[in-house]
Amino acid sequence: MTNGKFLRRALMVPAVLALGACCSDQDVVAPAPPPPAPVAAAPAVAPMGDVYFDFNRSALTPASQSQMKTNAAWLAANPNSNAILEGHCDERGTDEYNMALGERRAGAAKDYLVRLGVASSRLQTISYGEERPLDTGHNEAAWSKNRRVHFVEK
Amino acid sequence: MIENVMRIRKLMSLALSAVMLCMLFLPTSLKAEEAKEYIAIRKQGAGRIAIALDRTSAKGGKESDWAKNIDGNVKSGLDFSGLFNLMQAPVNMRSAQGGALNFAALNSVGAQIYAGGSVSRVGNRVGLDMEVYDALSGKQLMKKSYSADETQLRPMALQFCADLIELLTGKRSLIFGSKLAFVSSRTGFKEIYMSDFDGQNVVQLTSSKSISLTPAVSPDGHYIAWMDYTSGRPDLYIRNLATKTTVAVGKPGVSIAPAWRPGTNEVATTLSYEGDQEIYLISADGKIVRRVTRSPGIDVSPTFSPNGSQMAFVSARSGKPQVFIQDMQSGAARRLTYSGTYNTQPSWSPLGDKIAYSSLQKNGEINIFVINTDGSGLLQLTGGSRNEYPSWSPDGSMIVFTSTRQGKRKLFMMNADGTNQRALLQIDGEQQQPSWTRVK
Repeated sequence: MTNGKFLRRALMVPAVLALGACCSDQDVVAPAPPPPAPVAAAPAVAPMGDVYFDFNRSALTPASQSQMKTNAAWLAANPNSNAILEGHCDERGTDEYNMALGERRAGAAKDYLVRLGVASSRLQTISYGEERPLDTGHNEAAWSKNRRVHFVEK
Repeated sequence: MIENVMRIRKLMSLALSAVMLCMLFLPTSLKAEEAKEYIAIRKQGAGRIAIALDRTSAKGGKESDWAKNIDGNVKSGLDFSGLFNLMQAPVNMRSAQGGALNFAALNSVGAQIYAGGSVSRVGNRVGLDMEVYDALSGKQLMKKSYSADETQLRPMALQFCADLIELLTGKRSLIFGSKLAFVSSRTGFKEIYMSDFDGQNVVQLTSSKSISLTPAVSPDGHYIAWMDYTSGRPDLYIRNLATKTTVAVGKPGVSIAPAWRPGTNEVATTLSYEGDQEIYLISADGKIVRRVTRSPGIDVSPTFSPNGSQMAFVSARSGKPQVFIQDMQSGAARRLTYSGTYNTQPSWSPLGDKIAYSSLQKNGEINIFVINTDGSGLLQLTGGSRNEYPSWSPDGSMIVFTSTRQGKRKLFMMNADGTNQRALLQIDGEQQQPSWTRVK
């Protein structure tokens, strides 16, 4: 046997060992994988909130549009939840007309949510007229709180 | 000739009484001639009749109790009518037992009419003998006997009131057997109740423990319709008052403010299941008969003319809520109210010529107005607070309504011209949405 041949054979052992070492997980301290890019669903979604109306009107005001978008976003973020839209009126006016007006308010809010992409089947409307005021005061401060559509998770 | 007509009228009204009151009473003669004279003498709008009511005489403990009961009910019945100045007859009315009446004593207290009588036991029933005299001339106007079971003292007393009013005014009162349906929050929940025309004998009809609203009894007295939230939605219910069977209309959306159509067993109500608040006719078994209004926007609160051929209702079709009248056959609608910007809750008088309704005014008050069906003769009947939901008595002489003049919502009565406004019922909670039902 020549020295070269012996040397090649001798080197094979550590080479094999080194190979084996490279292929084994346990002793290798690999660098941590780079963190994945942030996923789009991460920020907390605001809960649904009420929208308000002018006296004897059922059209959504410009001021309510931002709240409606928030409500639509919540529904998008919670696909297993649905919503009941309750239409309410203040105590002025008469009960029967207010029962109809409350329903028109709930309907206007539902239509807007549908335009924002919420499935109509997820939205139920109900009117309470002036039967369930939030604020039982007898002034505009109370009345303005009662002219509303209230969103209830279902 | 005229006397024969009067006698026939009297006989017909007596027959009606017998039918209505299930043969309780045994009438004897009415003095038609004197009554006719008396009615002619009393001019239209003459003011209240000064009537002296004598204590009904009775022998025996039981009989005395009956007499007290009858006297109380006669007094409250005559008082309720608003036609009388009631006064107690002087104690020295009879000079001797069964002797002549002391008309001088009556004249000295200013009485125009005297009524008095006696109670006796007739077999196992109560007998009531009543006499009515013209105090000025001393002429007897009426002598009538009644008999009833002792549990029917109030209906018997009210029968006398009705006879007396017909005698003195020529008009048969439809009030004394009639009923009220209304909403009360007495239990903490809004439930449906009924009572006699004067608020006595209150009966609770629903126990929804929810919100029950706007009761309406059918003209034949067989059904009551109302709206409540027991299903989770505002739905219309129709109950057979005898069998207590109840059906629900069960359509999605709202159901608001039912009103029965005279001459039919159909009730009109607002439904929204086709996408807009429109008025529909529903049969007593809860099935949709047909759609009545076709107008975008709110159509609500129907009320019918006495023969059911026309319907007044509230519509926002011209912008703000106003009262319209629609012909049920042609479907043509015309606007009735032009004064004010928020007119709702119409109620058609059973006499056919007028509609009462409520108007939300600029100062925030709601008040009751009356208008002729041709749009003329607008008259404001109330002022000062929230006065709403007018409903006419079956003879069109009075209106029951809701008022907040004492703070909470309570039921009030007034004459058709707005006079004699007074509170009706004193029970706990708030009362609202009264509906005056016809005599069965």
